[in-house]
Amino acid sequence: MEHKFVGFKCKSCSRVMYPKHDRCLSCKGTEFEEVELGDEAKLITYTKLYAIPEGIEMPPLTLGIVDFGNNVRALGQITTDEPKIGMRLRPVWGKLRKIGGKEIFGFKFEPIEKG
Amino acid sequence: MRDVAIIGAGMTKFGRAQGDLMDILAEASMRAIKDAKAEKKDFDAVYVANMMGGVTAHQTAIAPALVDRLNLVPAAAECVESGPAASGAALKDAFMAVASGFYDLVLVAGGEKMTTADTDVVTDLVATMLHPTAEYVHGVTLPAMGAMLTRLYMERYGLTERHLAMVAVKNHANGLKNPYAHIQRACTVEGAMSSGVVADPLRLYYVCPISDGSAAVVLCPLEKAKEFTDKPVRIAGFGHATDVQSVHEREDPAVLKSVQLASKQAFNMAGITPKGIDVVELHDAFEILEIVESEDIGFFEKGKGHLAVEKGVTALNGKLPINPSGGLKARGHAVGATGMAQIVELVWQLRGECGERQVKDAKRALACNFGGFGNDTVIHILERGW
Repeated sequence: MEHKFVGFKCKSCSRVMYPKHDRCLSCKGTEFEEVELGDEAKLITYTKLYAIPEGIEMPPLTLGIVDFGNNVRALGQITTDEPKIGMRLRPVWGKLRKIGGKEIFGFKFEPIEKG
Repeated sequence: MRDVAIIGAGMTKFGRAQGDLMDILAEASMRAIKDAKAEKKDFDAVYVANMMGGVTAHQTAIAPALVDRLNLVPAAAECVESGPAASGAALKDAFMAVASGFYDLVLVAGGEKMTTADTDVVTDLVATMLHPTAEYVHGVTLPAMGAMLTRLYMERYGLTERHLAMVAVKNHANGLKNPYAHIQRACTVEGAMSSGVVADPLRLYYVCPISDGSAAVVLCPLEKAKEFTDKPVRIAGFGHATDVQSVHEREDPAVLKSVQLASKQAFNMAGITPKGIDVVELHDAFEILEIVESEDIGFFEKGKGHLAVEKGVTALNGKLPINPSGGLKARGHAVGATGMAQIVELVWQLRGECGERQVKDAKRALACNFGGFGNDTVIHILERGW
């Protein structure tokens, strides 16, 4: 099964939200459809976390906030130890960590190679 | 609506407590009750703020248990859990209960026992305040959030690591003068800047410790306060506002909108502007937060809070002393109790009882109690009621 990184688009005002809300953040609309957030985002801030939580294998864990444009952003793991503000990233499906011994999967962000 | 006064205040020394959660809650509460000379009085209600007692103290329904311990039976009792903003929320609830005329004598206590659990357990519990699927699951912790906010500030406003170190040095210096502080040790800018990295660019010295602690106040209508004390402290205003939970989804991730809104409400209610405040306690779980909150409350222009630190404006002898108690950095952070410890410090400041760390002639004070990573803020403004 192919996983798609989706947000939630308000059917009344078209605002896209991630994560999900039951009333639209702009117009309080209550009907939404799933939309793909795109395959390119820009890194706006990041950290390399050394005091890692349980279920993460090795420090540092690079985490960041990426911007898909139109004020749609997401937080996630960044798959490089050399993050740079403004770098282009794409969402990729993979193992995030273990919680209570159970493997958790989700989207993280990997750099888009130049050219 | 009736005016409401704080007529008694007390707290335990923050740090590693010998007693259990109920011991420290009882200790702080009895100090507040004795301070109000209300040992023989019947209380109408008790509000208890606590975040993680169910896990770290393996005890639930803490408020009626405290009523039993203090023999305040049959006072109405309830526990408030809203993360580290629990104490601010509990005080606000108690204020409304007294202001509305329903209750005349109320105890509000915050307590947390954290050092019984391992650091990684506590860090994980605190991280559960974040959005479960959009934040927590990815391995983000509160220090990671503090680090990402810091980097935004560095990129946008020219804040440097040295500014964070300067806030830590100031708060350690204040903590050294506070017998209730968890950390009573001076530090230097160089020392702070060579401590270990927790979440780049945050080092150990830019992050608060994990503390046990409890703090409590007693409230009554201002018109009855003279029966208890010559120096009642009036709650002049409060504000309580939330924001979207996920930091990435906020209009601007570098703005603490809940702080802005709660402050505006509190200033409106008190009928003053930020200029009317003499002393401040802010929620510096990470030193960047002291700077950002000082701007979003309205003390300094956005992006210029670090310059005020540089100029010494926020030092104990500065124009606007921030965190005379040492703040979360040095007084310590016992999550559910922290907001009440801020209030107790400010009551003592207004009454002129702070000794070496006394802010001269403090007449009006502001406390900012902050939950989640800024999605829940309670502001209180206190003033002399005599």
